[in-house]
Amino acid sequence: MATRKKSLLKVIILGDSSVGKTSLMNQYVNKRFSTQYKATIGADFLTKEVVVDDRVVTMQIWDTAGQERFQSLGVAFYRGADCCVLVYDVTAPNSFKNLDSWRDEFLIQAGPRDPEHFPFVVLGNKVDLENRQVSTRRAQQWAQSKNDIPYYETSAKEGRNVEQAFQTIAKNALAQEAEVELYNEFPDKIRVQSDGNRNGNSDNCQC
Amino acid sequence: MWIFPKENLMPLTFWITESESKYFLLQRRRSGPFMGTWDSVFNTKSAPFRILHQAPSSEVYHEIAIGLTHDEILKDWNWISSVLIKDLNEMESDDDVTTFTLCKIESMVAHQKHGISEETEDSENFKVVAADFQKIFNMLPEEKLVNYYACTYIKGKIPRQGRLYISLNHVCFYAYILGIKTQLYIRFSEIVNLEKNIQTIYITTTDKKIYNFTLIHLNEAFSLIDELSKIAMQKLMQNPDTPILDEESSVFLKINSNGSKKPTLFRDLDVRQKSESYKMLFRLPQKEIVDGKIKAHLWTPYNKKFVSGNIFLSTNFMCFGSDVANLVSLVIPLGSIQSAEKKDDGPNRLDNQIMISTKENLPFLFSQISDRNALTAKISELCGRLVNPDSRERARHDISWCKETALMKNFKTGLTVEMLKKQNENMRKWNKHFMEFGKGISMFRTTDVINLITEGVPEDLRQEVWMIFSGAIHEKEMNPGLYEDLVEKSATKKSLTPIHDEIERDLHRSLPEHPAYQHSDGIDALRRVLQAYALRNEQVGYCQAMNIVTSVFLIFCDEENAFWLLARLCENLLPDYYNDKIVGAQIDQGVLNEFIHTFMPEIHSHLESLGIIKMISLSWFLTIFISVIPYESTLHIIDCFFYDGAKVIFMVALQILDWNRDKLLKCRDDGEAMSLLQAYLTGISNPDYQISEHQRSSSPSHKIRSQYVGTLINEAYTNYGPQISTQRIEELRNKHRRLTMRQFDIDNENSIIKNHSDNMYFSDEELRLILQLIREDKTRPQKLQQKSHEMAGESPFIVTPRRSEDGLIRDPYNKYENYKVDYDTFKMLFTELTHWGAAKNLDLSEKLFRLTDKQCTNVLDFTQIINAIGIIRSNKYPEKLKLLYILHLPPLLNKREIEQLKKQTPKRKDEAEEAFEAEDFFCEDDPTETVEALPSPTDHNFEEDLPSSFKNMILTKDNRDSSKMTPSSVNSTDLDGRTSTFYIDLPDLSKQKRCESIDTISDFSDLGAALGKNGAKQNLETCSNFSQISDLNYMRRNSSSTLDTRSLGSLRSILDQTDMQQKVVPDMKRANFDVLWQSLVDICGGVQDHEMKEAYLNLVQLGESHTTFKREDSSESFTKIVMGGNGYFLQADKSKTPVMGDINQFDLVAQIEKGLAKELQELEEKNRSSSSSSAKSKNNSSSSPEKGEGWRISINQYLATVLTVQCFVNKFVEPVNIKENIRKMQKNRRKCIASNY
Repeated sequence: MATRKKSLLKVIILGDSSVGKTSLMNQYVNKRFSTQYKATIGADFLTKEVVVDDRVVTMQIWDTAGQERFQSLGVAFYRGADCCVLVYDVTAPNSFKNLDSWRDEFLIQAGPRDPEHFPFVVLGNKVDLENRQVSTRRAQQWAQSKNDIPYYETSAKEGRNVEQAFQTIAKNALAQEAEVELYNEFPDKIRVQSDGNRNGNSDNCQC
Repeated sequence: MWIFPKENLMPLTFWITESESKYFLLQRRRSGPFMGTWDSVFNTKSAPFRILHQAPSSEVYHEIAIGLTHDEILKDWNWISSVLIKDLNEMESDDDVTTFTLCKIESMVAHQKHGISEETEDSENFKVVAADFQKIFNMLPEEKLVNYYACTYIKGKIPRQGRLYISLNHVCFYAYILGIKTQLYIRFSEIVNLEKNIQTIYITTTDKKIYNFTLIHLNEAFSLIDELSKIAMQKLMQNPDTPILDEESSVFLKINSNGSKKPTLFRDLDVRQKSESYKMLFRLPQKEIVDGKIKAHLWTPYNKKFVSGNIFLSTNFMCFGSDVANLVSLVIPLGSIQSAEKKDDGPNRLDNQIMISTKENLPFLFSQISDRNALTAKISELCGRLVNPDSRERARHDISWCKETALMKNFKTGLTVEMLKKQNENMRKWNKHFMEFGKGISMFRTTDVINLITEGVPEDLRQEVWMIFSGAIHEKEMNPGLYEDLVEKSATKKSLTPIHDEIERDLHRSLPEHPAYQHSDGIDALRRVLQAYALRNEQVGYCQAMNIVTSVFLIFCDEENAFWLLARLCENLLPDYYNDKIVGAQIDQGVLNEFIHTFMPEIHSHLESLGIIKMISLSWFLTIFISVIPYESTLHIIDCFFYDGAKVIFMVALQILDWNRDKLLKCRDDGEAMSLLQAYLTGISNPDYQISEHQRSSSPSHKIRSQYVGTLINEAYTNYGPQISTQRIEELRNKHRRLTMRQFDIDNENSIIKNHSDNMYFSDEELRLILQLIREDKTRPQKLQQKSHEMAGESPFIVTPRRSEDGLIRDPYNKYENYKVDYDTFKMLFTELTHWGAAKNLDLSEKLFRLTDKQCTNVLDFTQIINAIGIIRSNKYPEKLKLLYILHLPPLLNKREIEQLKKQTPKRKDEAEEAFEAEDFFCEDDPTETVEALPSPTDHNFEEDLPSSFKNMILTKDNRDSSKMTPSSVNSTDLDGRTSTFYIDLPDLSKQKRCESIDTISDFSDLGAALGKNGAKQNLETCSNFSQISDLNYMRRNSSSTLDTRSLGSLRSILDQTDMQQKVVPDMKRANFDVLWQSLVDICGGVQDHEMKEAYLNLVQLGESHTTFKREDSSESFTKIVMGGNGYFLQADKSKTPVMGDINQFDLVAQIEKGLAKELQELEEKNRSSSSSSAKSKNNSSSSPEKGEGWRISINQYLATVLTVQCFVNKFVEPVNIKENIRKMQKNRRKCIASNY
C-alpha cells in the first residue's frame, strides 16, 4: 500500500477576507510581497515543489475567497484536501472568532474520513503590525483546544515564519496520508465540536 | 348572482328542484358519481345552484341566476318572490311575463356589473370554477386561480380526464370518473424540472416524481406554469421564509385590459411576461409596463428603406423592433417626444404615416400603421401621464452632464503613439457612425453598432456607450439626485457598520495596478459608490467582486454613472449574482455547464469529473473576467457585455475552453487544469491599449501572450453568437434556478444529516425524510399565508440582512434556521409520526413542545425535534414511560388544566373538540389572568405578557457541574448544550431569584400573579419542592440562599438522566395521575382490558398509602435529593414501598428539609409583608386542601406497575416505523386529503 502515496498535496487556505491569505501563499511560493493583490473571487491557485522527509512532493495551494457569502461555495475546492490552513489577522479579533466557523464548515463540507485528526494549521498573520489585538496566549489556547492544532504567528509582508509554517503544513498533510491508509475503514462520520470555545473567548477577549 | 338569461341547455335530470313558484324554479345540482364524471369528461362548469324562469305555457326554460352557495341563491330567490313576483302577477299573458322578466334580469345584470370596475371582473364561469377549485383543494381564499384547462393526466397507464388548475402557487389536477377521484396538488416552489413535448407537459417535483399532463392549450399552460414557477423561485430566493405569491404582490401589473376574455390574473401574468421580454429587448428600466404593440414600418434614413416591425408603447418609452431580429431597433423616451403628427403629404401619403419628432429635432417616420389615430391618441395619453421626476436639474438627454470626472481624465492612460493613432482612427469610425445612425439614446441600433463595438470603443466614448446600451442611463434619468442622496445618507451613518468595514477592506484590492487607485481620489470615489449602492439595495449590500467591476467603471465614467452602471449590473444584467448566496452566479454556472455539454460534449464529462466548471466560473462571471484577464483586455469584453449582456460572458467562456480543449483533456487533476487556464487567461492581451508600463509595479515579466482579446471576441461571436440567444439563456436560467434552489436544500439537508448522524434514534434516511417533511410543511400555503399576514406590517422591500450584530460569520448552525419548527408543525410531526397523538384527552404534543422548548422561543431546532420525537419512536420503553409521566407533571399539566379537562370529559369523544383543546386552556381565561396562565405555544404573545424574571424562572439554573454529573443520554459530545435536548445553558445566577417552595397546591398561576404584581425582586413560591443535583451543588456552594423551584427546567433535566437509579422525579398527585392513565390507555387503543384496570386500582391504592404519612411543615412535598455517583443519596420521602432498585435513605434529609423549611418560612414572611395579595392567594390555596390531597404516586411505583401490564409493554416496546408513516403522509398530501397536513 505504501507505494500508493501520492506526491501531490492539496492545501486549502481559509479565513476571513483580507487576513492575508493571498499574500501568505505568494510569499511562500514566489517569495514576494505585494500590496497590489485584488480581492480573491472564487479561488486562486499556486503550486510549489517541496521536500519533506527527503521526498519531493508538489504542493497545490488553493487560496479562497474570504467574504462570508462565499463560504458555502468553497465546497468545490475542498474535495480531496490534505490539509487546511486557517488564517486570521492578529489585528482583527473578529477574524479570530470566525476561525471556529471556518473550521466547522470545512469539516462538514469536505467530509474527511477522520475529522478528529484532520490536519489543520492556524496562522496568525500580520504580526508586523503595531495594533495587535489577539494575544498569542489566546490563540494558542484555542489551537490547543482543537486537538492541538499547530499554531504559527506569521508576517506575509516580512516573510516571518511563513516557510516554517508551510513546512509543518506539508509534513502534517503527508502524515495524514499515511494515517488514512492505516485507518481506511474509518467510519465516514463527522462530529463537530464547538465546546469550550465560547468559554475561551469570553475569558480572554480584549476587545 | 344574476346572469344574462339564456335558454336552458342542461338536462333537467341533473337538477333537484328545491323551491318552486309560479314562474320560477330554484334548483340544486345533483351530486354523485355520474355528475362528477360528466363534469370531468365534458369539462363543464356549473354552479351548484340556479334559478330558472319558465312560463307555465311555455316549454322553454331560462336560466336567470346562479349561485355558488345556498345563501347567495336564496338572496336572489327572495328578491324574486318579494319584488318581482308582484309585478308579474299583474301581467296578463305569459309572454309578457317572460319578456318583462328577461328584461328586468338583464338590467339587473348590467347594474350588477356597473358596481364593479370591469377590469377586475372575471366571467361567471371562471368564478364558478375558482370556487370549485378552492373547495376541492381546500385552498384559502387568497389562493387565487389563474386559469384552468381541460387536461388528461396519465397516472400509471390509465389516463384520467379532468381539469388542470393553475393558481398563484399551485398546479392542481382533479378528475372524477365513475366514483374514482383523482386529485393532485403540486406547489410551484417544489417543481424541479419542467419539460414539454408536442402534447405533454412533464413536471418533476422535489421528491423525484414525474407527472405528465396532456392538454390542448399546451403552450399557454406551459408558459404559465413556467412563469409562475419562476416567480415562485425568485420569491424563494428573496425571502425563503415566505415564498408565496399573493395578488397584491408587486409582480402583478395592472394595466388597461383590452376587453380580453381571459381571467384577470392570467391577463396580468401575460402582461408581466410580455413586459419582461420587452424590457430585455430594449434594456429598459425594471418598472416599465408594456401597454401594447402595433405593426408598423420604420423609415431608416441610413439605407433609405422602410423596415417592417412593431412599435411598442410602455409607460415611459416608445420603441421599435424590426421583424428580423437585430436588424434595427429604436428607443425613444416619451419625455423627449415633441410631437407626433400624421403625415399625409409626399409620395407615400396613403401609407398611414406618423412623424415623431424629438426634442433634439430628430424626426422618425413610421408608416403602414393600421390604426394610427389610436396610436397618436395613445402616445399623447401616455405623454400626458408622464411623471417628471422632481428636482431634475437638467432635462437634456445627452450624457454630457457630468458631475465629477471620470478617473482617466486625471490619471492618463499611457498610450503609445501607435495606440493613440489607432484610437483616433477608431474615433473617426464612431463619429461617422453617429452621423449616419444618430447619437444618444434614440440612435438607430443596428448590427453595425455591434461590429464597431467588437472592434473596441475609444476610451472617450466608453461612458456614453456603456450608459446607453446597458440602459443605465434610463435609471439615472428617472432618479435624478438619488445618488447624491444615498452618498450623503451613507456618510452620516456610523462608519463602522459591518458592510462599511467590508467595503473598506476591499478598496485597495480592487484595481490596485491602476494609478488611480494608488491615489485617494480613486479610492474615495469607489468608497462612495459602493456605500451608496449598499444603501440602495440592502438585499445585496456589498459583495466582493462588486468592488472590482466598479473600479473599472469609475475609470471611464463619472461617479454617478458608475453607480448606475453598477445598479444595472446587479439588478438586471447579472441578476441575483451578488446577493447573499451568490445564487445568480450559481445558476449561470449551471447554464454554462449545459452550454458546454451542448457545444463541446467531448470535454464536458472530463471537465465535470475534474470539477473545474464550478471553480472557474465564479470569478469569470462575478467580475466579468476582470480578475482573471488583464485589465486592458477585459475592457474590450466589457464593451460587448454592456451591449449584449450575459450572453457575452457565456460566449467568451466557451471560446476560451474551446481553445484549450486538447490541453484540458490531458489534465489529470483540477489543479493542473486551473493553472493551465490561469496562464492562458493572463496571457490574453490587448495590443491597442495599455496602462503605461512604468506605472504598474507588478507586471509579471514572465507573462506569455496567448491570444489577442480582439481575436477572442471575434471568434466567440462567430462561433457561438448565433447559437446563444438571450432568450435561450433565460430559458436555461429558469431551469437552473429551480435546480440550484433544490441543490441548496439538498446541501443543507446533507450537512444537517451529517451533523446528526450520531443521534440515537434515527437513521440518515429517516432524518432526511423528516427534514423534507418539515420543509414541506413550512411551505404549506396555509402556513405561509398566516405568516405573511403577520409580516404585513413590515415593508416587503426592506429585507434586513441576516447577520449577527458584530459582523461575525453566521455560525454554521444558523443555516438550520429553515428547519426550525413552530408548535403547529411540531404537532403535525408528533401526531403523524408517533402514536402518542392517540391520547385524546390531553394534547401531549403541546406538553412535549413546552418541555423541549428550553429557551421559550416558540420554535424548536432540529436537534430538539429529533430528540423529542426520537424517544417516543424508539423502543426504549422505560424512557418513554418516564417521558409520558413527566409530561403529566405540573407545571406542564397544572391544576387549572385538569379542571378544564374534567369539564370537557363528557364531550371528550367529540373529535372536533380535540383540535381546540389546547387553545381552550388558555383562551378561556379571563383576559386579566393571562399572566397567570402558563405560557403555551399557542399563545403567541406570552413572551411580552410575562415579566422577564418569570421567564428566567422557567429556565433551569444549570451549571457545568451538573451537566458533567448527569451523563446526558441525548448527546454527550456537546457540552454547551446545543445538542442536548433538555438542557439549557443559562447560568444566570446573578438574578438572585429566591424561590420559596411551600405549597403543593398553589400552582404556577399563583407564581405568575405574584411576579406580575411584585416585579422581579419578588420571592417566589412554587408548588412542590424537589431538588435536582445541580441545585444541591449550587446550594452547597452558595450557602443556600436559593432554593429550587419546580420548573420546566427541572423537569427537563430529569429527562436527561438516563440512569433509572439516579433520577429524582417528583411524585404525582391523583388528578394528574388520572389524566396520565387516560393518556396511557388512549395511546394503547383506548380500551381498558382487565389487566389495565387492575393495575390502575393497584396504583390508586399505592397512592393512598401516602395519605397515612403525615408531613410536619408547610413544605409538605417530599424532597428527594439524590446525589449521583458517589452513593450520597438523600430521600425525604420516608414512605416505604421500595420499588425498582434499592434506594438508600439517609436521615440527613430530615435536617436539610428542616433547614429548608425554616428558610422558606422566613422568605414567606418577607413575602407576606411585601405583598399581601400573593400571600393571600397562597393562604387560600394552602388552607383549602383538596380531597385526596395526600394521594401521590412515585415514578417508580408507576413504572413498576405499568410494566406488569402486557398491553402497555407491547405498545411501548414497539418502535415506530417513521419511514412508512412519512410515505403515507406524503401520498396523502399529494392528494390533498390529509386533515392535519
